[in-house]
Amino acid sequence: MSVIERVTKVINFETPDRVPVVAQVFGHAAVISKVPLHDYIRDGKLLAQCQINAFQRYMYDAVFALMDVNVETEAIGSVLEYRKNEYALIKKYVLSDTTNPEILSIPDPYQTKRMPELLKAIRILRAELGDEMLIIGCVLGPMTLTTQLLGAERALFLAIDNIEKFCEILDFSKTVNLKFGLAQIEAGANLPVVFEPSGSPAVVPHQFFREFISPRLKEIFSIYKKAGAAANWLHIAGPTSSILPYYPEMGVDIANFDYYVDPFYAQKLLPKTCLDGNIKSLSFIEATPAKIAAESKKLLDLFADRGGYILSSGCEIPPESKPENIEAMVRATKL
Amino acid sequence: MNSSNMNFLIEAILDGDVSLALNEVKELRNAKIKPERIIKEALAEVVVELDGKCTIEDFNLLEIMMAGRVIIAIVEELYTNGIPASQARGIIIIGTAEGDIHDLGKNIVKIMLMGKGYRVIDCGNNCPIEELINIAEKEEANAIFISGLISTIAPQVRKVKSILIQRKLTDIKVVAGGGALKQLPANNLNVDFVAETVFDGISYLNKILEV
Repeated sequence: MSVIERVTKVINFETPDRVPVVAQVFGHAAVISKVPLHDYIRDGKLLAQCQINAFQRYMYDAVFALMDVNVETEAIGSVLEYRKNEYALIKKYVLSDTTNPEILSIPDPYQTKRMPELLKAIRILRAELGDEMLIIGCVLGPMTLTTQLLGAERALFLAIDNIEKFCEILDFSKTVNLKFGLAQIEAGANLPVVFEPSGSPAVVPHQFFREFISPRLKEIFSIYKKAGAAANWLHIAGPTSSILPYYPEMGVDIANFDYYVDPFYAQKLLPKTCLDGNIKSLSFIEATPAKIAAESKKLLDLFADRGGYILSSGCEIPPESKPENIEAMVRATKL
Repeated sequence: MNSSNMNFLIEAILDGDVSLALNEVKELRNAKIKPERIIKEALAEVVVELDGKCTIEDFNLLEIMMAGRVIIAIVEELYTNGIPASQARGIIIIGTAEGDIHDLGKNIVKIMLMGKGYRVIDCGNNCPIEELINIAEKEEANAIFISGLISTIAPQVRKVKSILIQRKLTDIKVVAGGGALKQLPANNLNVDFVAETVFDGISYLNKILEV
């Protein structure tokens, strides 16, 4: 069974040959290829090669074309600081001196900053791994990009003080998301995972999510589906129990859940939505393979009757993770 | 001037109304109410109230930020250079570790600590641990609060306690918090306490300082 068939079956709550396993391996792919992380996040060809190397080593069910979470904000005008062997940091937000969205312009994904390199990575991955491999791109959700344009604190105060202007920036961010995401699908990604960490209830109340974020995500997912996305994958880490019930209405096919959320409760909240998660990210650095294997088995057993499950971590597997821990998670699905 | 004035102030803070709160503070000061009493009977009460309303599952950060903005305005109105050490419940050094620029959580902790009457020295984000320790030594701090959202900063955090011991600063407690750090237990991070939430950190501090 191909990866695409396997994942499609679990999304539809059918029985695959085995449970898919998606390791959220991003910068870790550079580490195991002994490539500096600061080069990996800027060079599409290098990123693709490292992802292929990681796939060949671990044999999991998806590869990611994902540099870091600052690609869009950089393309819009934020200034980044690139650091040796680390992800980049935002040095200056494009809206650090103003809240006027009129100074912003939608970046062309084929020409602006690192966006074309990400598209290049997708094209290489598709060419090298073939049509049956699940290739996942990445776009920031509108709320997260808004916090990346203004800074999180200013974004939240703008939401409190001037909701109309906040929504203008949120809509700008939605348009950036769509343009970049559609370009990723066109380049050969099966789907762009939508990262929306700033939509977590750890940042905004669930009512805020329902009123301001959820309708925009619904529009985004609808457009991605029409453009041929294999599935809509929403990735929000942290204590998401209070927003999970909104996912079906938004058109989410795969819902990431983090270690905060009890798997039983997640199943109850989303009885007909495929779930992925929720091994603690830092345990891939700190734990032993035996512990990861046990945790994986526990999750696989919990979802055995229900189906609709992809074994994964709750968030990124950190770059410095132990390879034997990732191997243990992958092996658990193949026993 | 009685407790109802203090109640008006509490309501104004919880409502996020800076100008109304500052008017209430002015009236209290005109009535010769001391700043430390305003902190203790109004700001600290607001922190207690927010603590009671927030759980991990239902954590209304926007409400905390609205109140927090008023708390900052009041502290600035009452003191030109933060709560002086002589009137503070304790002295806390806070920062986001080097390599990490996420400071929303750190700023919230700072404000809530101020609200509880602590003197807080904010070292900002992307802050080397040596700087946190140097300032803690200079200010004779009770605790260092380190925040981190990304996993790569954990090794730095593990060093803090050892450096404090080397420098015979063993009275200074180390508290860690933030998305990445709170996934690890205190013994793994070599800190005194890992705070799940801002209020968790404050409770620990109140307990160890017995205030």
